[in-house]
Parts: sequence; structure tokens; C-alpha cells
Amino acid sequence: MLGEFEYLLLTAAVRLGEEAYGAAIRQEIEATTGRRCSIGALYTTLDRLEKKGLLKTWMGDATPQRGGRAKRMVRVNAKGVQAAASFYNAIARVSRGVSWEAKRAVSGP
Amino acid sequence: MNRPAWWLVEIVSRLLAPDEREAVNGDFAESGESGAQALLGALGLVARRQTALWREWRPWLALLGLVIPLGVLLSLVSRMMADGSAIYSWMYLNNWTWTYVTNAGARTDLISYAAEISLKFLALVCWSWTAGFLLGSLSRATVPVNVPVFCLALFLGELLRAPRYLGRWIILPRPLGHIDSVHGGVYSLAFYSLVFPLVVQMALVIFPSLWAVRQGLRLPTLTMVRRTILWSCVIATVAALGSENSVWWQFRTWNVRPNPAPFPHLPSLLPIALLGPIGYWLAVVSRKALVRIQGEQANDQHFS
Repeated sequence: MLGEFEYLLLTAAVRLGEEAYGAAIRQEIEATTGRRCSIGALYTTLDRLEKKGLLKTWMGDATPQRGGRAKRMVRVNAKGVQAAASFYNAIARVSRGVSWEAKRAVSGP
Repeated sequence: MNRPAWWLVEIVSRLLAPDEREAVNGDFAESGESGAQALLGALGLVARRQTALWREWRPWLALLGLVIPLGVLLSLVSRMMADGSAIYSWMYLNNWTWTYVTNAGARTDLISYAAEISLKFLALVCWSWTAGFLLGSLSRATVPVNVPVFCLALFLGELLRAPRYLGRWIILPRPLGHIDSVHGGVYSLAFYSLVFPLVVQMALVIFPSLWAVRQGLRLPTLTMVRRTILWSCVIATVAALGSENSVWWQFRTWNVRPNPAPFPHLPSLLPIALLGPIGYWLAVVSRKALVRIQGEQANDQHFS
């Protein structure tokens, strides 16, 4: 079972497709969640997911806007897609019949 | 504020693996973060990497079994050599007279003492170099912890006078507390009891070992034969360092042999200290020569 951040990372990488690399994934996660994503969390999670065999990373091309430095490119493989789908389905199943808006209204101040 | 922060980011990111450093610094440049934000990010990543690394048992084994003992041992040997040479330094430097040069007998003594001290200092430099080389080549990832701990072991040994406590447990050629000895006058001077040992340690231990850490980190891939030569030399040097200050030295140099027991005259282990750097030099220089020759042969074939 994936963790929440692992799921976010896999989803962002799949959405970005061929353009998935460190900075782009980080920007995608920050834009969609509205939360700050630290570079430490990003790269250690990438390593963990790669060790689990859910994605593959390699050093890509350098670009001038990166000061001539290479990107760490990311590609989610079939096992990664399956793990993300499984996580999403589990969240969907467990959330069925629960309305968070209603709960917030009841327990809120 | 921004420029020093970026300079610090460069320094901190050197603690990461080369590919990761490249990717992370590129990400910082692309995302347009401030120097302070980038510094926090780099520090966070290094901290996470180190935390993951030190959950394993191997780095702890290397730290407790090699790094700290080597630091304490070098501190001990450095202190012994500084104390030993302090007497002659005081004799010649604090009481200099041209008679030491003009008188034939005094000149012979001066040359003999200078040669003896130089050989001991050279051995100390070589031992320090080999210890640093081991630290650098063991594991790149553990260097951020191992090197400061090694330096701390050296300084604590010196500052807390650990060699004197260790003298009670390890057999030493002579007790390391000279205040009551016949040379007490020399060691009662603050320079020879405090400053001189620190200068010796700084110049002959800290600098050579840190320099060797860099060489250990940049060690190229070697063939099995070269690797065997190099590591045999390194092991011999570390073994000599370990034994030179204990039983070996005591029986060799100190007059505690129960006479008339026929103890053999043991040779000095100081020359063995040279093996570590010589092994490195042989392995790396021969590899460079081979690469150059292969390159020239490839050029010749290309043009013929």
C-alpha cells in the first residue's frame, strides 16, 4: 500500500508524462495540493518508489534555465500505475457514504 | 544574504551523490528559489540521506571500529612524537649557539637528531595520510560524519590529555606525564606542553589526513592487481601504526627488558609507515601511465 505522498508523486509524474522530472513534479504537487513540497521529501520518496520498482529514474539533458545542469527524469511503470490505482480505489471505497462537508458542518464551531 | 546562502548551498550539496547534486542544484536554479530556501532544502535532503544511512549497522561498525580508534591512536602517537622532539627542539632552538655547527661532535649530534626527528615526523605524516585515505575511500556517503568525528577524536585526545589516561591502559615506551621527569623543565613551558603538540598535530596529522580524504574520495577504479597492492600497503601501514606505540616499541626502544633475557633486536616500524602512500602512488601512477600508453596506441592505429 502506498503512502499519501507516494501517491501524490506518482500521480503528478503520470500527469506530466514525458516531462516528469524533479522540479516539474514538485511544482505540480505544490500547485494541486497548495502545500509546500520539500526537495528532501521529493528525492527520498523518488528513491523509495524506485526501490519498490514502481518507477524508473535517469539523468536527462541539461538546460540553460537550470544553469546547465541535468534533470532527474521520472517514468512510472505498469507496477506503479497499478499501485496508484489500487490506492485510489481504496480511498474511494473507504470514503463511500461519507460526506466530509456535512461532518465539518456538524462538528465545526 | 543571497550570495553567501548560495555559496553554502554549493558546499552543502557536495555532501550528496554527484548525480543527485546535479539534479538538485538544477531544480533550485529552475524554480527560482531564494538562497535561504535552497539552503534549507539542501540541508533537509542531506539530513534525510544521512538519517537513512545511519540506520544500517555497517557505518556504525566503521565508525566505532576504525574511525574513532584511528583518531585516538594518531592523537596518541602525535603526542608522543611531539613530546619526544620537544626536548631537542628546546635544546637547539631555545639554546641556540653556533658551536652546534662549528664543533664537529655537536654537528654530528645535530644532524643525527634532525634526521631521527624528520623520519618520525615523516612517518606520522604517512600514517595520517593513510588514515585519511581510508576514511575517504571507505564510503563517500559517511564522510560528512566520519571526518568530523575523526577530527574530534584527535582534538579531544589532545585537549583532554587522553593519551595520558590511555597511558595507564596501553603499554607505552615511557609515561606520558613528564612534569616529574628529568625533562620537566622543558614541559613546564606552556609552548612545549600545549602549543607545540597542537602545532604538530595540526601540521602532521590534520592537514595530511584531510588531504588524503579528498584523494580517497577521488580514487579511480583500479584493476584487481593494483587494488591488492594498494590495500596491502594500507593495511600494513595501519598495522604498523597500531603496533609502533605499544609492545613493539617498548621492547625495541625502552630499557625494560628483563636482562639477560635474549630478546631479539626488533626493527623500527617507521619505514613501514611509508607503504600506504607508496602503494597509492604505485597504483594510481601506473594506471595513469597505462591509460596514456593505450591512448597513444589508439592514436597510432587511427593514423596508420
